[in-house]
Amino acid sequence: MSRTPHVLPPRWATWLLARWSHPDTREELQGDMFEMYSYWLESLGKRAADRRYALAAIRLMRPFARSKRANDYSETYSFSPAMIQNYFKIAFRNLLKSKTFSAINVLGLALGMACSLMIMLWIRDERAVDAFHANKDQLYRIYMREYFSGKVQGVIWTPGPLADELKKSVPEIEMSTPYSWTIPQTFSVGNKINKQATNWVSGDFFKMFSYKLLQGTPAGALHDKSNIAISRNMAEAFFGSPEAAMGKAIRYDNRKEMTVSAVFENVGPNSSLQFDCLMTWEAYVDDNNWAMHWGNTDPLTFFKLRKDADPAKVEAKMLHLLDKTDRDGDKPYKTQLAMQPFHEYYLNSTIKEAKMDGGRIEYVQLFSFVAVFILLIACINFMNLATARSSRRAKEVGVRKVVGAMRSMLAGQFMGEAFLISVLSVVLAVMLVALLLPAFNSLTSKQMTLPFSEPMFWGAIAGLLVVTGLLAGSYPALFLSSLNPVRILKGALKFDSSSVWVRQGLVVFQFGLSVILIVGMIIIYKQVGFVQNKNLGFDRENLVYFPIEGELFKKFNLLQEQLTQVAGVKQVSHMTANPASNGNGTDGITWPGSDPSAPVRFTPVGIGYNFTKTMNLKMTDGRDFSKDFPTDSSGVIVNETAVKVMGLKDPVGREMKWGNSKVRIVGVLKDFHFQSLHTAIRPLIAYLGAREPQGSVIVRIQAGKTPETLAAIERICRKLNPNVPFTYSFTDQEYARQYQSEQIVGKLAGYFAFLAIFISCLGLFGLAAFTAEQRTKEIGVRKVLGASVTGIVGLLSKDFLKLVVMAIVLASPVAWYIMKQWLQGFAYQIDIEWWMFALAGVIAVLIAVFTISFQSIKAAMVNPVRSLRSE
Amino acid sequence: MKRAFLGELEEVVLLTVAVLAEEAYAVTVAQELDQKTGRAVGFSTVHTTLQRMEEKGYLSSEMGGATAERGGRRKRFFRVTAFGRKALREAKEARETLWNAMSPQTLQLMGN
Repeated sequence: MSRTPHVLPPRWATWLLARWSHPDTREELQGDMFEMYSYWLESLGKRAADRRYALAAIRLMRPFARSKRANDYSETYSFSPAMIQNYFKIAFRNLLKSKTFSAINVLGLALGMACSLMIMLWIRDERAVDAFHANKDQLYRIYMREYFSGKVQGVIWTPGPLADELKKSVPEIEMSTPYSWTIPQTFSVGNKINKQATNWVSGDFFKMFSYKLLQGTPAGALHDKSNIAISRNMAEAFFGSPEAAMGKAIRYDNRKEMTVSAVFENVGPNSSLQFDCLMTWEAYVDDNNWAMHWGNTDPLTFFKLRKDADPAKVEAKMLHLLDKTDRDGDKPYKTQLAMQPFHEYYLNSTIKEAKMDGGRIEYVQLFSFVAVFILLIACINFMNLATARSSRRAKEVGVRKVVGAMRSMLAGQFMGEAFLISVLSVVLAVMLVALLLPAFNSLTSKQMTLPFSEPMFWGAIAGLLVVTGLLAGSYPALFLSSLNPVRILKGALKFDSSSVWVRQGLVVFQFGLSVILIVGMIIIYKQVGFVQNKNLGFDRENLVYFPIEGELFKKFNLLQEQLTQVAGVKQVSHMTANPASNGNGTDGITWPGSDPSAPVRFTPVGIGYNFTKTMNLKMTDGRDFSKDFPTDSSGVIVNETAVKVMGLKDPVGREMKWGNSKVRIVGVLKDFHFQSLHTAIRPLIAYLGAREPQGSVIVRIQAGKTPETLAAIERICRKLNPNVPFTYSFTDQEYARQYQSEQIVGKLAGYFAFLAIFISCLGLFGLAAFTAEQRTKEIGVRKVLGASVTGIVGLLSKDFLKLVVMAIVLASPVAWYIMKQWLQGFAYQIDIEWWMFALAGVIAVLIAVFTISFQSIKAAMVNPVRSLRSE
Repeated sequence: MKRAFLGELEEVVLLTVAVLAEEAYAVTVAQELDQKTGRAVGFSTVHTTLQRMEEKGYLSSEMGGATAERGGRRKRFFRVTAFGRKALREAKEARETLWNAMSPQTLQLMGN
């Protein structure tokens, strides 16, 4: 046998042996293997020796080699099964020993996580809108920037011929389509009549977007003027099944026969474009000739780029595309084109300074913050309780350290306990979400489910687990593992001021967040209430309107006559647009002294006789349109804002120009809101539209007689207009609908505020319980010496109340700033008043006092004999 | 008391330890097995078998005899315990009983 081997065995195998073999036999094993290697080297050669050595080393690693069971003096190492078993045992014993605190921790974390999970689901759902199109990275939409007199304004509606022009002049643009307003239209097959949400698009539509076709092909779906593509629902309603619908005729608006050329799957909630059926843009132009003029704006325009196209270059190319058209003509402004990725529109739909920026994305961001905050509040509970109660674990830490635990091992142990609690909480949280999701869905009007089959979901859960575990566990782990064993074991643990400071700071932070949420809830609630109850300048209660369509265009006078005879009907009139919202605009109005470089955009409305009476509007000057004045056909009524904008002293009788025709002001209306309160009142110009009534019939009905009056109106409409189903709207309901998202946000803010304060109070409850417990002796002594129950309750509550008050003081300015930002979105806002903060403060203090008093009263009531008896 | 049964490998290893007397540790046992019996027993198998038999009480061990050629590490010397000797003897007796029970013709056929 050679003495020392000249050749050494594979180093990695030696390392394996040194690191992973069983510690009990490690020493002799390493020596043995060394000897065996030289033996093999001699008898078998280097290669075989290496192989045998490596193989043996692997097989001697702990998982493969047998571990010795009965060895009383096993060498210790940190990951021995016994040690891990002990960690778990201690963790579970601690959980069970103090059930209240464990429950507070688990419940708090679970609520926080459930809340974050729900918000994550909501955000995921929001982001999924329009993301299903296979070409989504090549799809864009056009918007226009109008420059005039140094100002710029963004518009999403575009000229009708733009889609075709884009394809012609920009080679990178492969496909394009206009997309009009989605309007309910009447369709009939035999005696089946239905209204369906209708739109008009180019033949490229189904090639660009991934709406699934059940029948027909993307290319052939809309290639002829008489084609119509319908949804599965519509096909089933009219023909029984998608198969049966193909190639069949369907009557549109009781005047055109269309041929079903494709049936598509119902458009899901994840699409921002919603429609029941599509017809060709050419068919639309046939009915609406004006849509082919560059000067008018009507449809949205979407296009698809070639795969290899550079969007920046395309944007540069299209910027001045409109210059060569007669769009701007002699108008004093220049229009430029810009584009936005199609799927981004849903979340970024607000135009700020001619850029698409903001919109729903703001709510997504807001709620992301809320999710993080609530989780943070729950984690703080855990941190606070763990550090406050560290005196209970201090002895354990001391003993562990004395017998050789290193700081990293102790930190690991406490982190592990935090993770254990996180795991319990996550399980509870998922169950909570599963339970609450239906309610959340109905609140947000979505159809979300827990996506158990998606790896992303499990990733999110794991992420939540890790983040919570780290956040909640890190501080207690570092704090507990830093304790000095000599001090701990010698006497009672005393917290140094810094750890107390951190704990109090965390409580302040928690309550600060809660106060912000409460203030936010109050202000949103007030603003939404303000908006809904604000005097709009007209009476929106009991005001019904329905569209003028079908035969009604010709029979309006007959309709009016018959309606006025119904008992419950007080007034009947008509208007273009509808009473709840009128977003039209015209720039063509000039008056003596108007600045041609800064045109004022007026909102035009064509009204019938009786309009002001039906709406309950007040005239401040002049008179209403009247049949006694035949000249009223060239008269207009303006609102006060218009008078102010034009700077007229004595408006009645003044002449102005609308395009090329002269009009004369006959009356001035007191300002009223014809749009949502997000926008300020604009100048209004009302002309007499009685000769050709268009838009909506508006009917003022008597309060308390709604059902029978509506039934009578429906009967009359059915008779006069048999081919169109009767649909009506209440102005107040439609008006409220404009604030739907604010209402949802208000409600959600309420729930979240409640949750935040609840979780914070859980923590406070725990801390109060702990202090009361620690001061049992002190309370006993005080009582023996004559302290009253109230005195002791005050003593125990004072410290916590100081923190809560501090939180209110610190959080109020922050809340004020955030809510000021939110209110900017309304042209008409409520004032933020001091009492809102006071109310939030009082709520926070009351809840805190209630929480603390539970514990402090209990502690104060204890018979001192009991608390002092032991020892 | 029920007799403790030795596995075949265990028996061979135990015998080898007995043969090597004072010099029995994993390396010598493995080499002896390799040379004397010619059977392919891996070193790790020998090692674990020795450990197992110590657990079962057939062997006892002590550390000692560090040499330079094994990097200054000590060896674990094994010794057969009384219980081990008993087990070996019983295994041998059991075989002999069987051999003795064989008829002379069969013995002859086996070349005896």
